[in-house]
Amino acid sequence: MLDMQHVTKVYRTDLVETHALRDFNLEVAEGEFVAVTGPSGSGKTTFLNIAGLLESADGGHYRLDGDDIGTLGDDARARIRNQKIGFIFQGFNLIPDLDVFDNVDVPLRYRGFAARERRSRIERSLELVGLAARMQHLPSQLSGGQQQRVAIARAIAGEPRFLLADEPTGNLDSLMARQIMDLLGEINRQGTTIILVTHDPELARRAHRNIHVMDGQVTDLKPFAARSGAAVA
Amino acid sequence: MEIRPILSALLRNRTGALLVGLQVAITLAVIANAFFIIEERLAKIHRPTGIDSPGLIVAESEGYAPDYEHAATLAADLAMLKAIPGVLAVTPTNSVPLSGGGSANTYQLTPDPKAPPIGGNYFEVNSDFVEAFGLKLVAGRNFRPEEYVPVPPNNDLPPVLIVTETMAKTLFGGEPAVGRRIYDNDGKSAEIIGVVSDMHGSWLDNTNPGPYDVVFHPNGGLGKSWRYAIRVRPGERDRLIPEIEKRLNSSGHGRAIPWVRAHDYWLVRTFRADRRMVVFLSTLVILMTAVTALGIVGLATFQVNARRKQIGTRRALGARRADIVRYFLIENGMLGAGGVVIGALLAYVASSWLTRAFQMPPLPPLYVIGSAVALLVLGQLAVLWPARRAGAIDPAVATRTV
Amino acid sequence: MLGYYLRLAWLSLKRTPAITLLMIGAIALGIGATTTTLTVYHRMSTNPIAHRNDVLRAVTLDSWSPDRPWDSDRPELPPPELTYRDAVAIAAGAPASRIVAMRKTSFTADPGAGRPPFLVEARLATRDFFAMFDVPFAYGTGWGGRADQNAEPVVVLSKETNGKLFGGENSVGRALKLDGREYRVIGVLADWQPTPKFYDLNNGEYDTPEDVFLPFALGAALDLQPAGNVNCWKAETLAGVHDLFGSNCVWHQLWAELRTPAEVQRFQGWIDGYVAEQQKLGRFPRKINNRLYDVDQWLERHKVVGRDSRVLLIVSFAFLAVCVLNVVGLLLSRFLGGAGSSAIRRALGASRGEIFRQHLVEVGLVGALAGLGGLALGALGLKALEQLYSSYDRLTHLDLAMVLAAIALAVLAGLLAGLYPAWRICRVQPASYLKTQ
Repeated sequence: MLDMQHVTKVYRTDLVETHALRDFNLEVAEGEFVAVTGPSGSGKTTFLNIAGLLESADGGHYRLDGDDIGTLGDDARARIRNQKIGFIFQGFNLIPDLDVFDNVDVPLRYRGFAARERRSRIERSLELVGLAARMQHLPSQLSGGQQQRVAIARAIAGEPRFLLADEPTGNLDSLMARQIMDLLGEINRQGTTIILVTHDPELARRAHRNIHVMDGQVTDLKPFAARSGAAVA
Repeated sequence: MEIRPILSALLRNRTGALLVGLQVAITLAVIANAFFIIEERLAKIHRPTGIDSPGLIVAESEGYAPDYEHAATLAADLAMLKAIPGVLAVTPTNSVPLSGGGSANTYQLTPDPKAPPIGGNYFEVNSDFVEAFGLKLVAGRNFRPEEYVPVPPNNDLPPVLIVTETMAKTLFGGEPAVGRRIYDNDGKSAEIIGVVSDMHGSWLDNTNPGPYDVVFHPNGGLGKSWRYAIRVRPGERDRLIPEIEKRLNSSGHGRAIPWVRAHDYWLVRTFRADRRMVVFLSTLVILMTAVTALGIVGLATFQVNARRKQIGTRRALGARRADIVRYFLIENGMLGAGGVVIGALLAYVASSWLTRAFQMPPLPPLYVIGSAVALLVLGQLAVLWPARRAGAIDPAVATRTV
Repeated sequence: MLGYYLRLAWLSLKRTPAITLLMIGAIALGIGATTTTLTVYHRMSTNPIAHRNDVLRAVTLDSWSPDRPWDSDRPELPPPELTYRDAVAIAAGAPASRIVAMRKTSFTADPGAGRPPFLVEARLATRDFFAMFDVPFAYGTGWGGRADQNAEPVVVLSKETNGKLFGGENSVGRALKLDGREYRVIGVLADWQPTPKFYDLNNGEYDTPEDVFLPFALGAALDLQPAGNVNCWKAETLAGVHDLFGSNCVWHQLWAELRTPAEVQRFQGWIDGYVAEQQKLGRFPRKINNRLYDVDQWLERHKVVGRDSRVLLIVSFAFLAVCVLNVVGLLLSRFLGGAGSSAIRRALGASRGEIFRQHLVEVGLVGALAGLGGLALGALGLKALEQLYSSYDRLTHLDLAMVLAAIALAVLAGLLAGLYPAWRICRVQPASYLKTQ
């Protein structure tokens, strides 16, 4: 489903040239739960941005669901982000002036769903994360864990092809962190592909496959746990 | 379109919106009324004079010496002036149209002293006045030269009068005026022998008589000072003014010629106040609108900066650039609409005060609606620049943690 | 602390020059517009003889038609001028410290020596005119009771007329030919330009005072023609100026100087009695309605401050309000944008009040600078006004009072604009800005 081949990304300023990704290769099949780990500065964030179509690669190929991302314009990328990717950020990134319902609503609006469709999706996803009772609350009225769950609901409401989670538990205590990971696991069991970017090896253990990134390249493809279905190379 | 969530977000963070909304409201209240006033003044400035103003020269003569002879001087002057090449017609007159100074009388339809008085702005002229002022005879006849009395024995009504079309309508409604008699409140009467096209009278703002309620008396005044209205060929006016001044100064005994002017002189002076008002109001309107537009730009720019993370997140979630721009346009449109509604109310409050304090007519809705639309459009144009900058925010902002 | 705050304010303003200029500019524009309109309004509505306001009274009698009032929009008002008969009778008999009857006329002055004759505006007045209205003399004096009684051919010149005729030198004793007759100059006025011309608002309220002044009795003695408003409610056969004196026409002005409330009462009683007497003779067909106005009331009655000036003044203030609102928005974004440094100060021990005052000083500085800018703009506006307004150029002069008012208004506007933003910034929780996210 997701296929990156020889992807490179270089950041240039007046003074330095940073090769964030060099010859990066990754394939993710449908239904997988993949962890991308590495120390800070290793390029995981760059990988995240490119995988999530937030930035474009400087070299190599990125194919998502059969489409070659490289040639697409800004509007087309936005559409793909909207329809195929569900983001979960470290800092939750909920919109503070909107209540829970409206926050989950945001990507659905850009999708163009009718009001009834949006409502039913929002209710369903909030049910799934266990926050259906708090639809009118503002983010400031929720705990960190609850805010992240709202963010997850927002990510899955559009039934994306895969979830892209960036240190989803980075701002949470251990109890809430465990809850979030359980939730992600549950979502994956129901068939959604998840790519988890983290520096925490404990979290990575929850995934079926772990890709280790160092200095902009994939260095390790060892699986941490058996995954239901296919074996990995 | 996402109106409801945008509105909720706006209401939760109202301060900036309130500030801009108030600016829009006050600006609308002012410009709606200002446009109305400006239009009224421009109409006044461009009122038809009815006379050939560009071709009219006016000269004043003051007899002062004890042995000054009025009738003789008048006759000699008229003969001399009419003989000047380029002069088309001359009439003596007591006052100047649109000069702010003149004489008015009250006339009645019946001799009863309690009959309602009808004001008329009267001009004391001879039979050349139609040509001299550039009017047209539309009914009846002109004065005969012998009907003009240069030195009347008293200030009674002359036996015959001519009125303007508007004065005829003021007196008689739609009925013909020629042949009718009108009276003063001392029992004396005069017959109306002719009607001329409208001439604007001495004053701009009176209502009784109105500006076109003019009556012509075929006699001179009681005093020794009077004016000449001299009509000249097109283009000759500026050349003839010094010529006429020289000739008048070197003729006539025991009298002085205080001035010889183009009729333009009064047009400029009389409308100075109205022109000033138009200029001032226009300047203030432009400044206010500009400042309000800048306020919109300022607020939007602030919002863009404050919401960077949020905008990046929206982009990450699939918003296109146009979606971000549209968000700002909708938000700005909403607060513009709110401001405009309050502004419309304020506009009517202001208008009713103007009506009460200054007897101005009430504000027609067209001015409020037109100004509101203009402000809304301007507001949307103003917000376009910061909105497009918002659209250009990199979606990768969402994943940054600094 | 003020000096410290001023220095901080200056540094802060320098840091964002664009926004700072915008803020100063916005307030300056509003102040400029307001200064211009306020100056004209102020000059138009000043009472040029305020120090004598309480003792001077304009006298009006309702001698008008039985069938309709003088002013149908304000039917309670008597006409502003009097008949000749009434002016003379009251001036002669009424109990008052001083009294003046007067009217306008015009002459042709013959300067002789081959120079062309020219028109002069004249005021005929009884002798108390100069003392009552505080008219300053450069040379000579006015005339006395005998000149009034005998209608002596004497004349007082205005400064400008003296300049035109005699080159500005002391012309007392010289002769002047008016309408072919010789008059003796007995006085020359110093510079005198009361704005508005309060003593006669009916005949050119913003005109300069008359060119020459002569004893009132000359008017009737020589049948001098009127040069101001003449209004008659009854059509009478008038064969010449002479007939005006006995007519129902109103064309004279009358002022009395009444120094105590008792004098005012006594005077009012006298003229009411006089009118009652005249009613027995068949005059004054309307109800007795004799009104006295002090100068302020007189100016108010004539609505000397035109509606245009009032409207422009209101619009200017509305503009200032919009500018202030604008600046509030700018200040909010500036202050909240710089919240980090305030948070650090709070962490280091500054109290809320200190943060509040610090920011208030900053806006005060903006206001003061805007005041200077606004004054410059206002002066520009007044200059532009002079172009469009040249007959009223004495109305466009910026005096010290207006300068101070402009600056005060600017600082006030700035402080007003800054109150809410300063309050907001001092309430910010330092912790939320100090966290390393």
